[in-house]
Amino acid sequence: MVRRALLSPPVLISLVVLLVASVLPLYVSGYVLGLLTIAYYFGVFSMAWDLLFGFANEVNFGPSFLIGLGAYTAGILDNLYQPPIALSVAAGVAASMIGGLVLGLPALRVRGPYFGLTTLVAVLMLQNFVVVAAGLTGGEIGLTIPDVISINDKVNYWIALGFMGLSGAILYGLSRSPVGLILEASGQDPVQAGALGFNVTKHKLAAFLVSAFFSGLAGALMAFYLGAASVGTFIDVTVGVQVIIGAVIGGRRTILGAVLGAVFLVALGESLRPLGDLATFIVSAVALLVVLFFPAGLLGMVKGVREAT
Amino acid sequence: MLLWQILIDGFAISSLYALGATGFTLIFGVTGVLNLSHGAIMVAAAVAAWAASGNMGAGAYPAAAFGVAVALLLALATYYLIVRRLQLSRAVREEEKEIFILTATLLWGIMIQEAIAWLFTNNAKTVLPIVDGVVTILGVRTPANEIFTALVCWATIGALWLFVNRTLAGKAVLAASMNPRGVTLLGIELSTVYVGVWAIYGALAGVAGVLLGMFLGVSSYSAGPLTASAFSIVVLGGLGSVSGSLIAAYVVGYLETLTAYLVSPAYRAIPALLLLVAVMYVRPRGLMGRR
Amino acid sequence: MAAPKLEVEGLQKRFGGLPAVKNVSFSIRAGEILGLIGPNGSGKSTVMKSILGVERPDAGSVRVDSREVAGLPPHRIARLGVGMVFQHSRPLYRQTVLENILLGLLPDRLMDVLPTAATDARARAIAERVGLTGVLSRRPATLPFADLRRIEIAKAIARDPQVVLIDEPFAGLTARETASFARLIAEMRADGRAVLIVDHNVKSISALVDRIYAMHVGEKIAEGTVDEVMANPTVRKVYLGGALETAARPEASFGDVQTPFLEIENLNVVYGKAQALENVSLHVHQGEFVAVVGLNGAGKTTLFNAVSGLVPYTGDVRRQGRTLSGRTAATIAREGIVQSPEGRELFGAMTVSENLDMGGHRLTDDARAERREWLFDLFPVLKERQSQTAATLSGGEQQMLTIARALMMKPDLLILDEPTLGLAPVIMEQISKALARLRQKTEMTVLLGEQNVTFALPHADRVYVLEHGRIAWEGDPSRFATEAGARYL
Repeated sequence: MVRRALLSPPVLISLVVLLVASVLPLYVSGYVLGLLTIAYYFGVFSMAWDLLFGFANEVNFGPSFLIGLGAYTAGILDNLYQPPIALSVAAGVAASMIGGLVLGLPALRVRGPYFGLTTLVAVLMLQNFVVVAAGLTGGEIGLTIPDVISINDKVNYWIALGFMGLSGAILYGLSRSPVGLILEASGQDPVQAGALGFNVTKHKLAAFLVSAFFSGLAGALMAFYLGAASVGTFIDVTVGVQVIIGAVIGGRRTILGAVLGAVFLVALGESLRPLGDLATFIVSAVALLVVLFFPAGLLGMVKGVREAT
Repeated sequence: MLLWQILIDGFAISSLYALGATGFTLIFGVTGVLNLSHGAIMVAAAVAAWAASGNMGAGAYPAAAFGVAVALLLALATYYLIVRRLQLSRAVREEEKEIFILTATLLWGIMIQEAIAWLFTNNAKTVLPIVDGVVTILGVRTPANEIFTALVCWATIGALWLFVNRTLAGKAVLAASMNPRGVTLLGIELSTVYVGVWAIYGALAGVAGVLLGMFLGVSSYSAGPLTASAFSIVVLGGLGSVSGSLIAAYVVGYLETLTAYLVSPAYRAIPALLLLVAVMYVRPRGLMGRR
Repeated sequence: MAAPKLEVEGLQKRFGGLPAVKNVSFSIRAGEILGLIGPNGSGKSTVMKSILGVERPDAGSVRVDSREVAGLPPHRIARLGVGMVFQHSRPLYRQTVLENILLGLLPDRLMDVLPTAATDARARAIAERVGLTGVLSRRPATLPFADLRRIEIAKAIARDPQVVLIDEPFAGLTARETASFARLIAEMRADGRAVLIVDHNVKSISALVDRIYAMHVGEKIAEGTVDEVMANPTVRKVYLGGALETAARPEASFGDVQTPFLEIENLNVVYGKAQALENVSLHVHQGEFVAVVGLNGAGKTTLFNAVSGLVPYTGDVRRQGRTLSGRTAATIAREGIVQSPEGRELFGAMTVSENLDMGGHRLTDDARAERREWLFDLFPVLKERQSQTAATLSGGEQQMLTIARALMMKPDLLILDEPTLGLAPVIMEQISKALARLRQKTEMTVLLGEQNVTFALPHADRVYVLEHGRIAWEGDPSRFATEAGARYL
């Protein structure tokens, strides 16, 4: 099963794309590299979200809760004590995973729309906390992070690309592995999964933690890339919306599609920048059209054609 | 003195919240949709009224009516273009329809919000008030506008109650919220009921939006927080329960007013949020929730 | 002698205030098949869920191989040796058949879950046993219904369970597929497993089971061999009713012989992959009272839902010569074909009067009041309870309200779906009287779907027997007892 997955077309195509992407810095301006760097981090956010939604069938309306925890914890620590960057990042990941646990435990007990509501409330709470505890977090103005991983945009690009590639490999591999199979069964029909001997709660909670791990890690790394953290870039509901839409447009339940969707959104937003305020309008309109008319998403459509034959 | 001021201010704000939440919960109770473009529709109504009296020189009443009409149109558009399309879609599995509709209404709301910002800038605007001047109640000088707001809110809610409990069409709406299949079996087209409910929702959101515009003013940035507060109130009161939303609206409204007066306006949203978290943990179905 | 593999003792379960299972006890030894039968609402599903751990019993014990499992979570019970074949197939559509079967063999761990060569071989062996070798690399969407059911069986026996529960094993299968599945289940018995089959009707499983445990309204009404249980008078009463009376009017006496009021021609309904109705044709004359009898799951509700426009179908349904296909369900109801559905579909928070008024929503106020009075006369208990909310009524009162509400619409054709399901004999009497009055005093056309033949036959002018989605017999009520009755159970 795993062996077959390793040599499947999606993987091979992904490898080719990664290869092409890694030589881009030689041909493309620093500005574009910067955009793509952000896009890659968002790709990881969306992939982590897709694991939870596409497989465990849990809709997380506040991915920015986990992302924000990772980014802000790392940023605050760096501000206060200036430890080695790796330590701050690790702390950010830990915070995000604890947040995932706190969110996941009660959320798994409730059904229907209440789980989504709980996740949304978590984001609102974090947002308010950051604003209120301005002394620690920089409030609405934001937090400046003194250390950066690198100032060379090529290096930052490669770090982001490498991180995304590795995360994608792990998440995709997980989704195609037997563990992913169990997770999918748990999400699709928890009663049947239980009757087959699987502890559904345990598996879903594990999925939460994995999702939190990658969200927090990507959030912390992105914070160190930007050298700043603010509510608008990491916690706001619109950030969560972008993550979700990236995954949905790319094709839910594919993991790899999430990256496609994230890059597409960033590219679209960028190309429309000259239009000023209208840009957000058009991006939302395009996203809405995809949701209404192509719910399977970009990659989903391709897969659909393949599986029907 | 302060106590009366808090009481009156809180009452006005709560009444406004109540009207907005009633519409939101009506749509959820009958059609099962959590409309995340709610705040945007309210803002659109307010801005339309502002534009009518400002740019087109209309009087206060016609401008307000225009605002409500715009909200009505947007609500119907939301139903026809988005909700209905997704509900009938065969490309989406039943279990996933809810999140697709949520995401779609969220995007639609953002679109409306951004369109308003692009057409009219994102500065705050105040709608021309229908009622002017100051009134003194219990020793407190209150803008007459505030009293007007509370009165209109309650008149609207009262009209809704009469409609649902005393007219056949209203009872059909109530029946549809209890058992859609039963309504079909009695020869009433569900699609007609749904169109009617969305139209009523549009009117409710429109009135609430215009009143908010007169009372506190709006900007395109208000859309998100408005949806969030309607959402929190409805969850607190219990999804699908109109009476629950009314009670919760007053709880939230007074919590906010108390906090703004006694602690600081910056923190006004916090206690309500804490209450929401507590409710989510202890009693997720809210005060009087059914579903 | 070894202890039984599965022992259920004193099982009790309530939902809200209503008891679903009251004191159920039985045991199954290794190499034995027990059939748990009962109509809808008898509690058999709750018993099954209690054994699986999906429901926690309020009292009583469930022992698997002498080990107490009541109250344990489902995945622990499954690992202790209980396998379940669910009624509805839910395979993972993006995985192959082999991968679906492998799912049943994986350990419940978060890591180190890679399938070994041994588990792969075992999965293939199981596939061969159930007859899936040819399709191992295919995906479920491309497979016929019977193969999907085979996947469910394979998953259930993958870990070699001591106890196997099977829910409605033959639903949706053709005769030949049923025979092959019966062989598979018999093999389970030969393997020494304890098998519990849960089903609506005895006939389909009678050849397979060693013993039967019959339930009704939460408790046991009979236990023993197939013959013993079938001869049991209480069982016969529940399923067949009792002595059969008839009072039919000849078909020729109805005016519209050429174009009957309602004509159904070659009706086919498919749910997913399962054939719910196959080439059903029947007709009803104006003023006639036609009964469609059949056990739960035979397809009566599907048939009525097709006529009412609530489910898609192929074939034709015509009213007075004009086809109904393409008309919305609400239009069909408005134009006079009204259902009193099996699920009742009342407006729970509204009072009896309000429910009736909803039914008469298209009448003038006077006409509505008059019609309501007529219905209160037909069902006096509704008049007593007119200000009570529908949700607080008893089962029988709710059923009467459902029928009354349908009658408020002044139907040309009234479709009654299982009006007596789960009701006490006293209530059945009242409904029977009301139906008799309708038949004698009005020109109403009625299509009655019933499991209880004794209730249905005295009112019917003609009878159709529906079995596994097909019309098995059609004719005069008086001939029913001799020709169809014997095979009915």
